[in-house]
Amino acid sequence: MNVSKTPFNGYSVKFSPFYEDRLAVATAQNFGIIGNGRVHVFSLPPTPTGALTEIISFDTADGVYDLAWSESHDSLLIAAVADGSVKLFDTNLPPPQNPLRSFQEHTREVHGVDYNPTRRDSFVTASWDDTVKLWSLDRPASIRTFKEHAYCVYSVAWNPRHADVFASASGDCTVRVWDVREPGSTMIIPGHEAEILYCDWNKYDECLIATSSVDKSIRVWDVRNYRVPIASLNGHGFAVRKVKFSPHHRNLMMSCSYDMTVCMWDFMVEDSLVGRYDHHSEFAIGVDFNVLVEGLVASTGWDQMVFVWQHGTEPRGP
Amino acid sequence: MATESSSPPNPPAAGGTPQNSATETVQPANEVKQDAAPQNPKSVFVNSEPIREDQVQNAVKFLSHPKVRDSPVFHRRNFLEKKGLTKEEIDEAFRRVPDPSPSAQPTVTNQVGQGVTTSTIQPTSVSQTPVPIITVPSSASPSMFALARSRFHWYHAVFAVGLLAASGAGTAIWVKKSMIPRLKSWIRWVVMEEKNGDGGITNIKPTLAEEAAAAAKAAAAAASDVAKASQEMMISRYEEKVNMEKFMDLMQMQVKEIRSMGSAIKHLEGRSDKIERTHLVEHGGHSGSITKLKPTYPNGNKPEIDSHSARSSLPPTSADKSAPPHPNSYMDIMAMVQRGERPPNIRDINDQPPNPNQQISNPRLAPRSKPWEGAYQAKTSSRGGFGSALNGEGGSDFGAQNNEASNQVDAQSTVPWWQKKNSRITETDYVEAKPGSTTVVQTNEQPPIQRTWVPPQPPPVAMPEAAEAIRRPKSKKEAEPVSQETSGEGFSAAEVTDELQRITKISESGGEVEEMHSGGQGTNGALGGLKLSEIEEEPVQSY
Repeated sequence: MNVSKTPFNGYSVKFSPFYEDRLAVATAQNFGIIGNGRVHVFSLPPTPTGALTEIISFDTADGVYDLAWSESHDSLLIAAVADGSVKLFDTNLPPPQNPLRSFQEHTREVHGVDYNPTRRDSFVTASWDDTVKLWSLDRPASIRTFKEHAYCVYSVAWNPRHADVFASASGDCTVRVWDVREPGSTMIIPGHEAEILYCDWNKYDECLIATSSVDKSIRVWDVRNYRVPIASLNGHGFAVRKVKFSPHHRNLMMSCSYDMTVCMWDFMVEDSLVGRYDHHSEFAIGVDFNVLVEGLVASTGWDQMVFVWQHGTEPRGP
Repeated sequence: MATESSSPPNPPAAGGTPQNSATETVQPANEVKQDAAPQNPKSVFVNSEPIREDQVQNAVKFLSHPKVRDSPVFHRRNFLEKKGLTKEEIDEAFRRVPDPSPSAQPTVTNQVGQGVTTSTIQPTSVSQTPVPIITVPSSASPSMFALARSRFHWYHAVFAVGLLAASGAGTAIWVKKSMIPRLKSWIRWVVMEEKNGDGGITNIKPTLAEEAAAAAKAAAAAASDVAKASQEMMISRYEEKVNMEKFMDLMQMQVKEIRSMGSAIKHLEGRSDKIERTHLVEHGGHSGSITKLKPTYPNGNKPEIDSHSARSSLPPTSADKSAPPHPNSYMDIMAMVQRGERPPNIRDINDQPPNPNQQISNPRLAPRSKPWEGAYQAKTSSRGGFGSALNGEGGSDFGAQNNEASNQVDAQSTVPWWQKKNSRITETDYVEAKPGSTTVVQTNEQPPIQRTWVPPQPPPVAMPEAAEAIRRPKSKKEAEPVSQETSGEGFSAAEVTDELQRITKISESGGEVEEMHSGGQGTNGALGGLKLSEIEEEPVQSY
């Protein structure tokens, strides 16, 4: 119901875990091929319709592919930038005093970042240099580097219950489950026949993980029996870019795809597709659930639009 | 599953259950896992399967292949991982594969093999067996093999079959060429023998029969000659056709090779970064589209994307070569990048930290609990509710109730539209943020929170005594007889008192009870009796 247009093409949208009415959007110029980037922080207006209010924005030399809010500090943002750097922004400080930190260790684009929601002290980044790095805000360098994937790592996701476990999805068609206490990956799931673009854990069942792939499907896996997926959700016309589990309902999921739609799924039901929104006019690249407000969702895409709406209602408003 | 959880991640150590039992135990595993999780939570995320010997042997065969040995180690590992082998199985296979020189496949001689040289070629794929190939028909074979050395093993198959047919035809021709002259010479020799025999021995005139026989023989020879010649012609035509096809295939293969080599050169020239990023940005989202019908896009540029598979094979767009000042479409930008131009709208931005040692300020807010953290205990009960609710209703029901909820919130107008679960969340915030404090305290230490804890609205009370009773839970007993006279709302002040007492206790205890967490269904039970807002009950029950 709330819409805003960003000057660059949208890549990722994330709601703040501290403020119900705050969200951040990662954008990149020229579709992320070459150009600058910008991180916007928006606030929801009190009315159901109307534009989002921009609180602050930060410019970067290269496109921003992903971002994550800190779970420990309410004003900190971590941005995954296409020039291989990981930047820390403080929304309480004006742009000239930002970024607070810029970690330059990845040798290729950083495509995904996720903050630990249980221990709240660390975050992981996924990069096209085939590695995943573990960081902490108080350290100037990465704590660990996980190098096992054979191709670009597109996304990482912490397990919502186990503070040491995270999963990574890669273009080598596998998902790996890692434990920061172990030297290497603890599980390899050959989830799809094509590149896997995103993975997310179920918030209510820590053994379920969903993967979305270039083969247009979303699969839900149980790590205890990962040879066969629990569910395979088809319905998107093109590669599925992101899939997220709802923080309020065990079975509800949301996905966005290159077919320009955002879909809602219930993977325990035979006919899994429970909703479809086609408000974007270009690739839909980013989606997120609001952790604090049930049913509030947001999406962004290459059409430079950011939509925030209540699931079940029309995103574009009456 | 219990055995799996207690065994360390060493599959041969007897504890690992085979895959079949793992599937059976998934269903009760949820409950069992809850018990097992506190004991050894990490083990759920580890491969507990024993090493499968057949998989390891397949992997050993794969790794022993000479072609595979040339490829980098991580490619080999990735291939095996994609086939579904676990880390332990892959490591075991690597351990078993011997290091010494690769054993070449034995050469196989041709069946006809009369002085014809043979050679073998190793196919790149493991699944193929070596195929005997004759080098006679085509002199270009060595170069062909050199070019086709990469992954196109099915090309090899086609190619080998074609060559085999050609070779068969060739040997047949050769045989016939060698046989026919021999046959002819033999016939002539016989005929001449007869003639000589006739002439040398006697002057007897050749009888008619003999003449006829000779003529017949000559005719037969001639006929056979003709037949052989025509057959020869047919065979040579066939062979020509086969050769032509072969050459066509080879030409196409060569063209493809040259194209890929050209793209490789382009990579090396340094434009690869941006082009590769383009491909990765799209990562074969288009390759998926190629196999299906092309979509109908309103934007005319899209079909061009669909028609190109690899990043490098994108030719410049049909649009004008001179870039417009503000290219606003993806294809335009791609074309610019390929030409090495930089889109003009890019600014030079210094995004380095101005003060790299800047202190990170202390957080103003305490972290909030997640909706699923409190619901862990209530999971088993609520899951059924979720499942059935979602089973029975579709998206429309979601929409209907959400609409009603938001409409009602709008009607109330004091609450922002996205805060339709206002009260529940505020109480949760309050409980989490300040455990141990009493209920009626303003949250002065947390200025950024827009809302302060709002005590649940007490029902309109007719009698001041009842209001007094609410404020003093200890005097509940006195209030009861009073409130019963005044209850016009359908519930007594005692109920309200009870709930408030409960809430007080819960907040003092730090909010451990699952009912108080937002998103949990139990909250409804705790507060529903207070009738804070009608919206809470409807949508909650639908979930």
